[in-house]
Amino acid sequence: MPSPPRRPVSRRRLLQASALALPGAWALAACAREQPLSGPTGGGSSAGGSASGGATSAPAELQIASPTNPVKWPINPGNEPIASGLEPEANATLRLYNYPDYLDKAVIKDFQKEYADYNVKVEYSTFNDYPEALTKIRSGSIPYDVTFMSYNYMARLVYGDLIRPLNHEYIPNIADVWEEFQNPWYDQEWQYTVPYVIYTTGIGWRADLIPEDIGARPNPYDVFWDSKYAGEIAVLDDDREVIGMTILRDGGTDVNTADPATLGAARDAMLEMLSLSQPRVTISGYTDIPEGVLSLSQCWSGDMITGQSYMPEGVDPSVLRYWSPPDGRGLVNSDFLCVLKGGENPVLAHHFLNYMLDSDVSLKNFSWVGYQPPLRSLTPDSMVADGYIPENLAGAVVKPEWFEVGYPVLELPPEVEAEYQAIWQQFKAGA
Amino acid sequence: MVWIALFFLIPLYVVFCVAFGTVDPIFRSPVPIWNPLEWQFTQVEVVWDRLFGPDNFYLPAVLRTLLYVAIAVVACLIIAFPVAYFTARYAGNYRGLVLALLVAPFFISYMMRMLAWINLLQPDGLVNTIITLGGVVPLDINWLSGNPYVVVMGLIYGYVPYMLLPLFAALDRISPSLIEAARDLGASGFDLFRRVILPMSLPGIVAGTLLISLPMMGDYFTSDLLSKSPNTAMIGNLINLSIVAPGQAGQAGTLLILVLLVLLIPMVLYTRSNARAEVRS
Repeated sequence: MPSPPRRPVSRRRLLQASALALPGAWALAACAREQPLSGPTGGGSSAGGSASGGATSAPAELQIASPTNPVKWPINPGNEPIASGLEPEANATLRLYNYPDYLDKAVIKDFQKEYADYNVKVEYSTFNDYPEALTKIRSGSIPYDVTFMSYNYMARLVYGDLIRPLNHEYIPNIADVWEEFQNPWYDQEWQYTVPYVIYTTGIGWRADLIPEDIGARPNPYDVFWDSKYAGEIAVLDDDREVIGMTILRDGGTDVNTADPATLGAARDAMLEMLSLSQPRVTISGYTDIPEGVLSLSQCWSGDMITGQSYMPEGVDPSVLRYWSPPDGRGLVNSDFLCVLKGGENPVLAHHFLNYMLDSDVSLKNFSWVGYQPPLRSLTPDSMVADGYIPENLAGAVVKPEWFEVGYPVLELPPEVEAEYQAIWQQFKAGA
Repeated sequence: MVWIALFFLIPLYVVFCVAFGTVDPIFRSPVPIWNPLEWQFTQVEVVWDRLFGPDNFYLPAVLRTLLYVAIAVVACLIIAFPVAYFTARYAGNYRGLVLALLVAPFFISYMMRMLAWINLLQPDGLVNTIITLGGVVPLDINWLSGNPYVVVMGLIYGYVPYMLLPLFAALDRISPSLIEAARDLGASGFDLFRRVILPMSLPGIVAGTLLISLPMMGDYFTSDLLSKSPNTAMIGNLINLSIVAPGQAGQAGTLLILVLLVLLIPMVLYTRSNARAEVRS
């Protein structure tokens, strides 16, 4: 086919196109808003949002809460709680932002019915992990009202001025919450949050595929380094959980350590795990174990309870097992609900928080998601007897006293978090 | 031109600004630097170290990617070549129809097809049912346990039509009289293939190879869906992981630029040889 030679033209075109692109770039630059962080009182926390910090620049001061360092967060000027006695917003769309499968859809429907007088609609959006959620919330592109978070993001939520302090008068159901969660270390005087569910991190497996009693091993975590199970097992797709578990396995107790030697040893152990047992990395153990795709996986306590409803036909759910340290000295954590500042329906959001703390609602949700709410009306000792949890999964019950001896996954200073991320990246790049 | 600027140059510029930008000290989200004069190259150093430094843990994934892609390309070629050849030569007036039918399954999105494979390859899935003759032969194969063969199979299955189409286009252009002439002059079947068909289909082979190896280099969800094991992680997975991990978008950008630079070489060579061929014709 006769066609003119293209090269000289295309070069000119390229140049022209680049020339065109330049104004576009400046336009982009103009659009790029530096999001100033309104820190709490005092000067130490101005995050110095300047772009010259460099990837490993010294971070601004980030106060980090822990059981030994309970924090009462400041309330930024202009972010006072809503007034008392307001009516919920009518004809509103309440936007929830959460993990997938982490809230019963029936509960959402019930809430809409309960507030039918106000013609309320609920929209449920999902994220894959907290960093993604935080990025989207910060961008402000969608006015989410309520989100489900973990305390290892608490400081950033407050410093970023992303959440709204609560007006307690709208949330009388807090009275049913375990005492320690009415004044939690991560949010003293529950200024911003109400608890959602509590969980441990342990090991889940199918007894018919793995006949061994994992919990009877001297060190059950060793199962992830056992080449016998190569190709059958998985660890959670979560850097903190896997690094934390590895530290515990090696006899450590500080799962939030910044000590380079401990972290280095954990990294080496994780790489050794890769070559010995070739684990998959996934959070879908709650379906993969019941279906037999995995025989065993590191998982959260709620996973095996909810996994009962994913059993294939002909397999008895009683083959599911869960182990976490029976003395509570393992990874023990909780998630909370909070009202986002960018939301359009703060009053309705308060009502939703209160609704979720109602014992009937909470129980209904628990029976679907499998994660236990810290409510007085749900006594851990009687959960098996009352039929909420079957005998074979008794180890998945979370006891209140474990929050005193267990190891919470805390927020990390940014430079330490970077270390964890680097280890995780090396692990996930494969050996 | 506007199209190039809008969909290629500006996005690419943004990638550069992120890769050579900084990170928010608290949220560890990327802070792009829009002025090229202020660009910083810390992330490039980090990525370079991880590729070629003492702690070069990116390197195995890069080599693995090259290996997977090479195997998948060769396999695609072996599968697609005879199919394209016989369609071009013998399908007659039904060529269009046969080709459409061959490509039809691939109108379904890549993701859906991989999800279908998950179903087929499950322990009690169709593949195992067939291999074990319905459970008679006691074979217990867990295909989804992070198996590199399954990942390569996924790549082959996912990209084979993109090899098929350019091959067909090239083979279709070979005049039947050329083949007859070769036969008349005493060429054996193998000679015919080696001295006539293969050289004449070379542009199609090169185009197909480029067309599938470029997206394969950046593919991450085949490994994500069919394996989920770090031991089958590809460059695409490294980039994806860097994007979702806080504070590492710059590294993702740098990796992306590196992949782009490497892939640019065959692309440029290909366009140049094409342009030359067109000038000649």
